[in-house]
Amino acid sequence: MALIDALLQGILMGLLFALVALGLNIIFGVMNIVNFAHGEFLMIGMYTTYWTSLLLDIDPLLTLPVAALVGVLLGIASYYSLIRYLLRGPAIAQLFGTFGLMLFLRYLAQFLFGIDYRIIQKGLLIGKSLSIGPFIFDWTKLAAGILSLFAFAFVYYFLNKTKTGKALQATSINKEAASYMGIKTDKMNAIAWAIGGGTVGIAGGLLANFYYIYPTIGILFVMIAFACVALGGFGSIKGVFFAGLLVGILEMVFPVFGSLVNSDFLGPHFKFTIVYLAYFIIVVFRPQGLFGWKN
Amino acid sequence: MEKLKDALDFRDFSRAEQVGFTIFSIFLLLFPWLGAGSFVKAVMIQFLLFSLFGMGWNTVGGYGGQVELGKAQYVGIGAYTVALTMVWWKIPFWVSMPMGILLAVGYSFMIGYPLFRLKGHYFAIATIATSLVLQDIFANWKLVGAAKGIELPIHDHPDFLYMQFKSDTYYYYFIMVLFYVAIFYMNWFRRSKLGYQLRMIKDDEDAAESLGIDTRWCKIKAYSIASAFVAVGGGFMAVYNLYIDPVSVMDLDLSIKIALMAMLGGAGSLWGPTIGAAFLVPLDRFLGSWLGGHGGLIGLDFMIYAMLIMVVSAYQPRGIWGIIEQFRRKGS
Amino acid sequence: MAFLEISNIVKNFGGLVANNNVSFQIEQGEIIGLIGPNGAGKTTLFNCIVGYYKPDSGKVIFKEKDITGLRPFDTNRAGIGRTFQVMTVTTGMSVIENVMVGAFCRTDDRHTAQSEASEVLNFLGLESVKEYHLNELPIAMQRKVGLARTLATKPELLMLDEVASGLNRTETDELVLLLRRLNAEKGVTLILIEHIMEMVMSVSHRVIVLDYGEKIAEGLPGEIVKNEDVIKAYLGEKYAKSH
Repeated sequence: MALIDALLQGILMGLLFALVALGLNIIFGVMNIVNFAHGEFLMIGMYTTYWTSLLLDIDPLLTLPVAALVGVLLGIASYYSLIRYLLRGPAIAQLFGTFGLMLFLRYLAQFLFGIDYRIIQKGLLIGKSLSIGPFIFDWTKLAAGILSLFAFAFVYYFLNKTKTGKALQATSINKEAASYMGIKTDKMNAIAWAIGGGTVGIAGGLLANFYYIYPTIGILFVMIAFACVALGGFGSIKGVFFAGLLVGILEMVFPVFGSLVNSDFLGPHFKFTIVYLAYFIIVVFRPQGLFGWKN
Repeated sequence: MEKLKDALDFRDFSRAEQVGFTIFSIFLLLFPWLGAGSFVKAVMIQFLLFSLFGMGWNTVGGYGGQVELGKAQYVGIGAYTVALTMVWWKIPFWVSMPMGILLAVGYSFMIGYPLFRLKGHYFAIATIATSLVLQDIFANWKLVGAAKGIELPIHDHPDFLYMQFKSDTYYYYFIMVLFYVAIFYMNWFRRSKLGYQLRMIKDDEDAAESLGIDTRWCKIKAYSIASAFVAVGGGFMAVYNLYIDPVSVMDLDLSIKIALMAMLGGAGSLWGPTIGAAFLVPLDRFLGSWLGGHGGLIGLDFMIYAMLIMVVSAYQPRGIWGIIEQFRRKGS
Repeated sequence: MAFLEISNIVKNFGGLVANNNVSFQIEQGEIIGLIGPNGAGKTTLFNCIVGYYKPDSGKVIFKEKDITGLRPFDTNRAGIGRTFQVMTVTTGMSVIENVMVGAFCRTDDRHTAQSEASEVLNFLGLESVKEYHLNELPIAMQRKVGLARTLATKPELLMLDEVASGLNRTETDELVLLLRRLNAEKGVTLILIEHIMEMVMSVSHRVIVLDYGEKIAEGLPGEIVKNEDVIKAYLGEKYAKSH
């Protein structure tokens, strides 16, 4: 029973993870850059929801468009002020560049908001739960999972059905061929960053409903996102969705097994350790991702 | 013997560099007698320590061009080996330090073997992942103090065997000696077969393979050398701070700092890590203490840090030393 | 037993057959021209021999040793050197350092490597640019550096991928001379992928022709130019025009 509960909770978390990893994977696909600051984008989405809901005294769920907008702007600003310049340099500079961005945003948040752990206390869904039979779901998590799914589906639709989305995919598959077809790489890159920022902004807004908000939260989620991306295959949209679910489930189910054994190493503290380990094992032994899908 | 001669041979550097290095060495030697306060002394020790770390990173990261972001795990291995063997079995530093190096090197081979199947981003992220795993393990392992960490027993009298001194001056000279060992070693390394091969790997890995270089094995070797360097620094941290915990010796921030200093100063050059450390350690320390005194403007120091990193990455990926060399090449 | 024996090499890329059942033999001391239209699978064949690709089936026997599927560094150590059609232009190392890396393949000592590198540079007439970085040199010169560093590994079999492209007439003539000297003085066996027909025909002892991944002809240069299949596949117009 505990196992099924963990499974269901894991799926909800997994949907959110998939949304977080989606933006990272789109950016990676389109321009072959790993955005280390992705977790910090999430963190800023969380703070956006926190402050907007607190200062305007509105429900945190209503702040989601603001979080998305901030994410989009952040993505575009990062692209035009930094990433474009990094593209000219060697790969090592690209890695460090987004790393610098990550540190900058993290400590900017620390500078502005302090190191306190914050939590949103007022909201329509906060503190309420839904019981179905023996299972109890927090409404906040339920909402996060479902809205994440919607957001993901929306982006998937956008990528596959709209002209811009198709152009983005074309760039992802073959940059040169796409640019011969008249697709402007620079514009595509900016759009990728906008989508990346926007989706993770929404994810941050959703996460803020039930998770602690603090400046250094980014690294945890960027590592989870990396694990999802590695699992699903770098650049694969379908892959990252199922990988998100799998990571979510792994992270919730592992502690259930852990609690059966009395050991330092199987407790709930290790739920994310398992995710890191999973990343390592997957990229070493199955670099094409667990599913081996390509767009 | 030949190797020693190479290590001490700085003739292929420019006159300016030789003079600069000599003046710098005289300064280092005389520093404790210049009447600096204990805070400045601590900053200097920190500076030499990070130069040592940076030179280690520079082998595989700088010369070999593999972005390695998990050096803290080796700081941790060095520090924990020294601390634990001292607490458990009263093993003197001079025995536990080599043990730490051996463990670090062993671990580096174990982990380097799968790790170096990877390249680029995959590799960089994997190094973070392994480091985080080790940190999580140590933070939860009650036997090694878990998140609380370990305090080293303080001796009443100065004790050379356990590297316990009342005055920072002794620690200063000790880390200075380690620093010079590292400089001389790297001076040999950069012109060694492995050094050349790594630079080729960084430039063009396919070409390197066509020239008879087993690229993966080369990287693993360099990685284990780096690990030994860093573990020595970790051991020093244990006896110098007399307290270690997973955050102080294994945190991702530490890994980042090590890589950044080398990269900011100039990855793949002998002086790079030292120059980087000379910039960033004082910045870190002075800014930190100054800001701390001004109502906890925490984070501002790191923001400046981060700005520097972004600017350097965007405009001169070869770091401060790269800028200097660029000018020199234009001049000649 | 032949010096290099390629038998029934097949290499597929996701259904696209790059090499189909290619076989030939080469004796020590020969100069072989490997020609064929673009996309005929010449570079793929090189990569299969040297070990960048693992052939799907077939065997590569070098000096009576099966080297099929060995990694590039192993085949290099066994005595096979190869140059690249496109040199990655890098800024990290000077010309002499590049060549020293090649020399380090056979020695551990820096001073030996240095003197051997200088020797190779002299042989190729590159001593005047030895302190330059690759990005500061014209493309033809970069390729020559590529040749130099491969030579420094002391190969017995040297595989050159379009080493003459981009060279002007005089430079090409110089290169031909150089290759002949290499062959005559150092006894290096050569395989050349080349587009400049006159050069291949003048320097090669024998020519092998690939088309759509298959060997369609093999023979003396004089025979090849008259071969119907070859003319149809590739040479026809081009060769006629240049005469």
